[in-house]
Amino acid sequence: MPRRPGLSPALGFGLLAVAGVAVPVLTRDSYYLDVATTMLMNLVLTLSLRFEMSTGQLNMAHISFMGIGAYASALLVTRAGWSFWASLVVALLVAALVAVPVGRIALRVSGPYYFLITFAFLEVLRLFFNNSFVDYLGGPSGLVEIPRPHPLPLSGGAIGFTGKLPQYWLMYVLCLVAAAVLIRLEYSRFGLVASAIRQRDLLAETLGVDVIRYKLGVFVLGSFFAGLAGVFFAHSHQVLHSSDFGLEPMVLLVVFTVIGGAQSVWGPVVGTLVLSVTSELLRELHHYEILVYGAVLMVVMLVFPEGLVSLPGRIARALDRRRGSKARAVGARVAP
Amino acid sequence: MLLELRGVSKRFGGLQAVTGLSMTVAPRTIHGLIGPNGAGKSTVFNLLTGVLPLSSGEIVFKGARVSGLRPSEICRRGIARTFQATTLFRESTVLDNVLIASHLHAAKAFVPTLIGTAAYRDKERSVCTGAQGLLVSLGLADVADQRAGNLPHREPLAGLTAQESADTMAVLRALRAEGKTILLVEHDMRAVMGLCDVITVLDHGVRIAEGTPRDIQANPAVIEAYLGAEESRA
Repeated sequence: MPRRPGLSPALGFGLLAVAGVAVPVLTRDSYYLDVATTMLMNLVLTLSLRFEMSTGQLNMAHISFMGIGAYASALLVTRAGWSFWASLVVALLVAALVAVPVGRIALRVSGPYYFLITFAFLEVLRLFFNNSFVDYLGGPSGLVEIPRPHPLPLSGGAIGFTGKLPQYWLMYVLCLVAAAVLIRLEYSRFGLVASAIRQRDLLAETLGVDVIRYKLGVFVLGSFFAGLAGVFFAHSHQVLHSSDFGLEPMVLLVVFTVIGGAQSVWGPVVGTLVLSVTSELLRELHHYEILVYGAVLMVVMLVFPEGLVSLPGRIARALDRRRGSKARAVGARVAP
Repeated sequence: MLLELRGVSKRFGGLQAVTGLSMTVAPRTIHGLIGPNGAGKSTVFNLLTGVLPLSSGEIVFKGARVSGLRPSEICRRGIARTFQATTLFRESTVLDNVLIASHLHAAKAFVPTLIGTAAYRDKERSVCTGAQGLLVSLGLADVADQRAGNLPHREPLAGLTAQESADTMAVLRALRAEGKTILLVEHDMRAVMGLCDVITVLDHGVRIAEGTPRDIQANPAVIEAYLGAEESRA
């Protein structure tokens, strides 16, 4: 059920899928493939972050659940000798499972208090990764020698994942699955209720929505997909460090999402795409990256708070107004 | 009795907002709840719908205790409420507002009948007039409660023109004819007297009178609460 005129879910998803196929067709350069792979991984994170924001809550610990998925999978594979494919599933469930008690506690409050509680959790978990169980988690020097995804056994052979290209395809498939689920939910009863909660949770509650349980469901599903990105991250980077799941990358996710437009399911897609490309173009300015993002964020918030996705609509409306005023001017001449 | 309040009290710190309130609401009636400002009408509404917890007493709906349940659960049992007309999902269209309520209760067929024609159903809520907003708000509560329940309704007529007021009253009467029970908080006395079958009067959180509109208008305690006692003026 499209709630406002604009991109239809099928068309938007199709564009995303085609764009994803186009990348390896256009280039096999490992640098570009790397950038594209990271972009798809970030897209899973921003889509799921926005999914949680659709109920009006900014979860600053989103990236911590990516971390939980990443460390869980790394440990399952290196210590327990699991296959990547089994740990992929289980690590996601671990991230979702941890989200249940965390969500139960954090969702007792909302607004700035929720922001602060989740922010505290982010820091606690980062310090945990850094300082606890050093033998297992690698401590300050990080967890190293995580193997690439194991070959996927299929009838008549196996697909290996050592090269950049197969890894890109793996992330592509994972990203499409996540996007399909999250976009579908946005255009369902689920999305409608989320928007109701964001606008007026008390009214939603008195209309029969169990707001807390609903928010918890959203939190757990969002964390599940963060865990998905985490598992991929662990096995493609092969090194995990606590700072990968700290405040700075978290802020980047928020910036991607908000600049794209947190109101729309397409906001994170646009934001992640535009900003990932921009950041590669501005590679020389690497040390000032956060500074640039901060400035861009301020400008976007001031000029078009609904994000980049709102631009086409704004331009169309502005053109309409100009045409309208011209029509009125013509009318004025005709009128007596 | 459809709805029964038994010795309901609510205390906010040192303020006793409602004291030992007992009242019953009969099915298929429009029951008015009136009283001067600060009498505790809003508090009663919030207690009834589970938005606030009771300090003591209990509320029974269709023979089952509903006090202590979450608002969403109370709604599912059949008590839906409206807020003032300005309380809607403002960024959503009128149609979406009602869809939100109907989706939750799988009663889609109903949707446009109450809120009227398709003419304004796609508009953003913010362009509705007060009366339109109100009708939407009533529509939400009605959709949320398709099973002949109770519609506590708060100050529906505030800020409406005479014509809008008359339209709204007609809608409320139509809902009663459909078999709904309506608990109404309203300051427009002429409307209250014209609409309600029974009226309960609160003052300082205590029930001071209950009866038909005619009884209430003649009741000295009610007149004193609204206008002050004659002795005190002398």
